[in-house]
This record gives sequence, C-alpha cells and structure tokens, in this order.
Amino acid sequence: MESNPSTPPKIVCFMCNWAFCEEELHVPYNVNIVRVMCIGRMDPTLVLETFANGADGVMLAGCKPPDCHFIDGNLHAERAVKMLKKLLALTGLGANRLELLLTSPIESKDFGSYAKVFSEEIWKLGESPLKKDELASMIRVNVDAAKNAASAFRLRVLLGREEELTEFLNAYGEKIPEEEFDALLDEVVKAEFIRYKIHHLTRANPRSVKELAEAVGIKPSAVLRHITNMRRKGMIALERVEGNTPLYRALEVR
Amino acid sequence: MTEKTVQEVRKLPPCRSACPAHVNVQAYVALIQRGKFKEAVEVIRKDLPFPAICGRVCFSPCEDACARVNVDQAVAIRALKRLVADIEHEQGRVKPEPVPRKYGEKVAVIGAGPAGLAAAYELAKLGYPVTVFERMAEPGGMMRYCIPDFRLEKFVVANEIAYIEDLGVEIKTGVEFGKDITIESLKRDGYKAIFIAIGTQLGMRLNVPGEDLEGVINAVDFLKTIALGKPVKIGERVAVIGGGNTAIDAARMAKKLGAKEVMILYRRSREEMPALPHEVELAEKDGIKFYFLVAPKQIIGENGKVKAIECLRMRLGEPDETGRRRPVPISFSEHQYEVDTVIPALGQVTETTSLPPEILNKEKRGLPVQVDPLTLETNIPGVFVGGDVATGPASIIEAVGAGKRAAVSIHLYLTGQDLRKRKGENIEETTWVKDWGLMPKKERRHDAPIEKPHLSFEEAKEYLEKLKQKARFEAFRCLGCGPCAECLASMDLCEGDKAVVDENKCVGCNVCAIVCPVEAIKKNEKGVAQVNEELCKGCGLCAARCPEQAITMKKLTNEQILAMALTALKEVK
Repeated sequence: MESNPSTPPKIVCFMCNWAFCEEELHVPYNVNIVRVMCIGRMDPTLVLETFANGADGVMLAGCKPPDCHFIDGNLHAERAVKMLKKLLALTGLGANRLELLLTSPIESKDFGSYAKVFSEEIWKLGESPLKKDELASMIRVNVDAAKNAASAFRLRVLLGREEELTEFLNAYGEKIPEEEFDALLDEVVKAEFIRYKIHHLTRANPRSVKELAEAVGIKPSAVLRHITNMRRKGMIALERVEGNTPLYRALEVR
Repeated sequence: MTEKTVQEVRKLPPCRSACPAHVNVQAYVALIQRGKFKEAVEVIRKDLPFPAICGRVCFSPCEDACARVNVDQAVAIRALKRLVADIEHEQGRVKPEPVPRKYGEKVAVIGAGPAGLAAAYELAKLGYPVTVFERMAEPGGMMRYCIPDFRLEKFVVANEIAYIEDLGVEIKTGVEFGKDITIESLKRDGYKAIFIAIGTQLGMRLNVPGEDLEGVINAVDFLKTIALGKPVKIGERVAVIGGGNTAIDAARMAKKLGAKEVMILYRRSREEMPALPHEVELAEKDGIKFYFLVAPKQIIGENGKVKAIECLRMRLGEPDETGRRRPVPISFSEHQYEVDTVIPALGQVTETTSLPPEILNKEKRGLPVQVDPLTLETNIPGVFVGGDVATGPASIIEAVGAGKRAAVSIHLYLTGQDLRKRKGENIEETTWVKDWGLMPKKERRHDAPIEKPHLSFEEAKEYLEKLKQKARFEAFRCLGCGPCAECLASMDLCEGDKAVVDENKCVGCNVCAIVCPVEAIKKNEKGVAQVNEELCKGCGLCAARCPEQAITMKKLTNEQILAMALTALKEVK
C-alpha cells in the first residue's frame, strides 16, 4: 500500500435490518452501518448520493437468497447493484467501490471479516477521486449525471421490470434472455448517463455539439442524436446560433 | 400504540388464528429472525404465560395451519418457541415488576392448571387482585402431575408459574374446592368474581369385566403417583389402552420404570390416533409395540391379579361426530395378550361432586356443566367456568385460550359492560401468497431437540451459539403471511412504516405492484397506485423503485436514509 493514504477509507455499509445482529458485529471502525428495512429498499440514487458526499466505498449487506424477510428484496438489490456498477464505471469512480454482500444468518459471524476485506480493497484503490483535485470537478459532473440518470423514469422502469421481463412472459408471451436484457440495460445506462451529462454541462453555459462531444468523449453525431432525443423530451433547447454553430442550453427538468 | 392496534387487527396469519391463545407467532418468529431472542419471549408472554411449557408439549395447531406446508413443511414454530424460552432460562429470567393494582375487586380462580393460571395471569396484567386456589400441594395441574418429567421437566413448570406469581398473583395450595372453600364462602370473603377451572381429574373406566383386579391402574393415577414421588408397582408385561398422549406417556413411563414389554392397544388405526406423531415415533424408538384396531373385551385374572387381556378385532366404519371413523367390532375375533399390568388411558372426566349443583348439566349426556361457550358464564352471576371442565379433556393451549376468554368476561362483568361485546372474536385468516409454486423451497433448518448432548462448558456455549444461528435460519422460512405483525424487531427503524402514493405524480406504470412482495400496492380504477395499509409491511421496495418517485414512506424516507448515511460518513474518522 505504498502510494495510498495513511488514513483508512470512509465506508458506509447499508445493512438489511434482518440480516445481521448488531451484537455479533465485529466491524472495522472505518465502516459505519446504516440500517434499512430491507436491502432492496436502497434506492440507487441513495448510493450515488452517498458517493457524492465523500464515501470511499459503499457496501450493501443483506440476506442470501432464497432467504429474505420480504421474500425477494435481496434479488431486487442484486439488480440495482448490477445497474449501479455500470453507472459507477461510467463516472470514473469505478465499479469496485460498491459491493453487495449477501450472506445467510448461519454465517453472520463473518460479517466483520467481510467488511475488513472490503475495507482493505478500498484502501488499495485509494480515496475517492472526488477528493483528488485534478479530476474532482469532472467526476463530480459524472456522479451528478449518474444520480440524475438513476432517478429518471427510463432506467428505473427498466430496473423495476427486470424480474417481470427476464423471468416471466410479457404481454406478448416473450421472455427476454438474461444476456439480452443485460445488453439492453448497458445501452440504456450509457444513453441516460450521457444525456444527463450533456444536460449538466449545458446548464450554466450554452454549448455546441463539438464542445459536448469533446467533453463527453463520443462522436459529434452521437451527441446530436442524444440532443434530438433530449429536445423531444424537453430536456434541452436551442439557445442561439453562433455563426454556423448551434448552441444548446439545458431546460429545467420537472 | 402497539397494544391498541393488535386488538383491532382482525386479519391474522393462519398460525396465529389457529392458536387458541392467539399467540403472535409471526412477530416472535420475526424477532428470532432478527436475533432478538429475549424480545421474542416477551412477545410470546403477551398472549401466553407458558412459553417453555408450550415449547415442549404443545400440540402446535400453529404448525398444522402454517401456510408453508403448501410449499414444503411448516416452520418449526414449537421448536423455536422452546429455544427462546430455554435461552431466557439459561441467561436468567429478569423478575418482572408486579403489575400495579388498578381495580379493587378481588377475583378467585379455582384450579391452578393452565386454564386457571392463564386467567389469573391475564387478570393480574389488567390490574386485578387475583387468588388461585389449588387442591394439590403444588400448582400446575395436569402440567405438573400428568405430563412425565422426560417430556416436561418440573422446574420448567415451576419457573413459569413463578413468573405469574411475580406479577402479583397469589396462589394458595392445599385448598379443596367444595370442602375448604365454596362459592358462598368465597363471596363472603369479598371475591367479586369466581372462575372455576378444575379440569378433568378422573381417568375414564374401561367398563369391561375384570377392571378391579390387582394390576389395573388408570394412566392418570399412574402418572400422578409417579409425579408425587410415590412408589408404583409395575409388572413385566404392560398393556396400555388408548391412543392419546396420556397413553403414550404412560407407556413410555412404564418402559422407563423397567417393564420388559410394553404394548399400546388402540381401537382405531394409526391415522386416527390423537397423540402427537413425533411422540408416537419416540415411543416406537423406546421399543413400545403398537397394536391397532383392537379393543379390550375383558381382563382375565388369576388369584385376583391380572393374567391376560382379551381383545376383539375392530374394523373402521362410518365417521362419527368427531370426524374420525367409528370402530366396529368384528365378531368371533377374540384373542388374548398375556400381561400382568393394564393401564387404561381413555381420557378423563370431571369429578362433579365439588361443583355447585346449580351449574351442573341436568341432562345425562354431554358435558358436566352448563356454560355459555362464548362468555363462559354460568347460571350464577359472577361465576365462570372454563377449561377442560367445560369442554372435556383438551390441551394446554386450549385451556390457556379458555382462561384468556374467562379473563375478558370477568373484566367486562366487573366493569359492568356487555359480555357479548368483545373485541377480536371474528378473526379472519389471511395470507398474501397467491402462487405457492413461486415460493422457493427450503428444508427445515432447526427442529425440536431429541436429546441434549452432554457437553463441557465451552462446548455448550458453542453449541448454543450454533443453535441460535440455526434457529435464526429456520425463522427465515416464515412467509410472514399476515400484515405487519408489530413484532417490534425494528420498531426504532420502521415504527410500523407504510408507503404513501403521491397521486399527482403517479403515472400508473405498475412497477410498484411488480416489486411489492406482499401485493399491498395496486392500481385502482383511476389507474393510480393505491396502498392497502392493512397489508403493507413497510419494506419500502416500491419507494426504492417507483420510476416517478411518486411513492415515499411515512417514516423511513429516502431523505432520512440519506441523512443517516451522511451522519455515518461524518462519524468515520
């Protein structure tokens, strides 16, 4: 751990109320526990918000399927974490900073050691890039975009319906294979993330497609496609045309 | 808040509704799941003063009703109850504070069996001064004198009764009703209400020739003599007649006392046996033989002693009023078993001589006393009758149910209210599960202990820890059929949380209905999500997934979770 800071990482562990017993926990002191009713209760935005507020790592701890006080809350958590990891990878924080730990009550004794292992891994990763000067502002934009993407209808509806889409037949009698759904989720996560990033970037100053393409790191044509889509949804509007270049500005969403 | 809502809830999970004492099973199973064993015992004690006793010998109607049988096997409710009670005992029970007296009216309870003690317990909790009168030297009734030590240890009974005494109930033993005290004398002494729960003490007779021979001893007398520590003469070859738990107890006891061969003769077949299946298994393990579809015709004696028992073969005919098929004797099927001891265990009846004649049933058939089955009132105002004496021999938990019923009646009577207007009578059974096939199958992870292993102190500690883990794991099999059971497991967190829908934001996408584990949220006719507060358990899954963020929780909102997370972040150095 040569290049790493000497202070231990700040870790928040959201824990299912039914999963472990407080008396049995031997948790490292840099891991602080927040109890929730069920680990499926974790709104994805809450996790991102916790990162935005300076957590170096976030742990979600719940019960191992098929055991759950609310029957399948832990499976909902699994789906949310899958999506969150995709988002976190896009933000530059890294997917490894989030971990879902599902254990059964007979091995609950080990929670402390699980937490220790996770804490050490985060220590190796170093403190959250949000705290490092060079990159902080860009990553902050990314985290903000991810937060907005996670609270947007499209991603949430996809997340909420995953079970229905992949495990049961839909209205047309089709069942979506897991891989296909994953690819779809990938696509939607990326698109939503980019749109909210564009939205964020055009909030203060109107910007051109070229500028945005550079900032987001995709082709101008792709940016334009997103902008067309965003205009239709009322997220963005044409502010003015400078020379031959149209400049866009974000509109207040809801 | 909790006390009130529990009474108003009419929809109960199948386990709780099946329990005659309506013990809040779902709540204590949830508490065990959470690892809160002490609190679990407290929740049981709200409805039942005998967690350890019922954890050992209850016939567990809750498990028969458990909805999980539709998936695999019922949750091991009795074993869980026993474990939490034993853990409490091991760690040392905290003596409860006596309940302050709210009322001045003295209540007398006659009979310190489960019914009488349960009534006394409930009345004491309400704040009445209660005195229990018991004929025998020790309280406990059949729990102490009829259930053998190997099924229910005496110290367990003593401990649970001590809890009731700690609450402020006075128990006077060695007082015989009808001799030392009467209804008149009690009224003269200032008792405003009397609950008679003397139970059924007399073993029923076989009514066959040869019953008075030496070597015939009734199961109740047999077990009682042993419980009193007096010597009993038992032969080498023993026949126990009957198929109930008492028959099994007597047979196992005879075997433990040294009888070479013990057989149980039962006139119906194995399926109709009222004894608990696992007790029958244990008896078989002890080497007890079972002969089904045989009924005694006469007991053959020699020099005034039992020599053999002559039986008739039976076949099963039409079902009778109890729903069991009536045994019909097959003629010329006499055969003999050579035995030297016969223990009839055919059930018990009440010794009616001590009861006041006014309340006796005038008709020859049926139960000995006339009593209103709902209120347990008799012809004499202020005198209530309940338990086995009013219903015929039943179980501990049914007696507790009767005792609680009597306590409610007595409270209503003493406060001058209508005895028929009582809460919680119309109980509706409910489970949210619609499709059993979707429920994951789980094997039992904890069951009733057969034998306690002999362990060193360190080993015992480890063993207990393992048991606790297993019990928690078993508790996770509970489907939580009912609405929020107010288990208090996470009261600090949820406070009976419910989801709330902002109708202006809802777009009717139905995601909440998909994620809700208990189908408590659905689109209504307006196409807007609507929460059924009776079913909502406050998990917040809908709030976490609502695409329009139109759903919030009443207590544990997103904002609150975030605030907790931020505090947690600050606390990290």
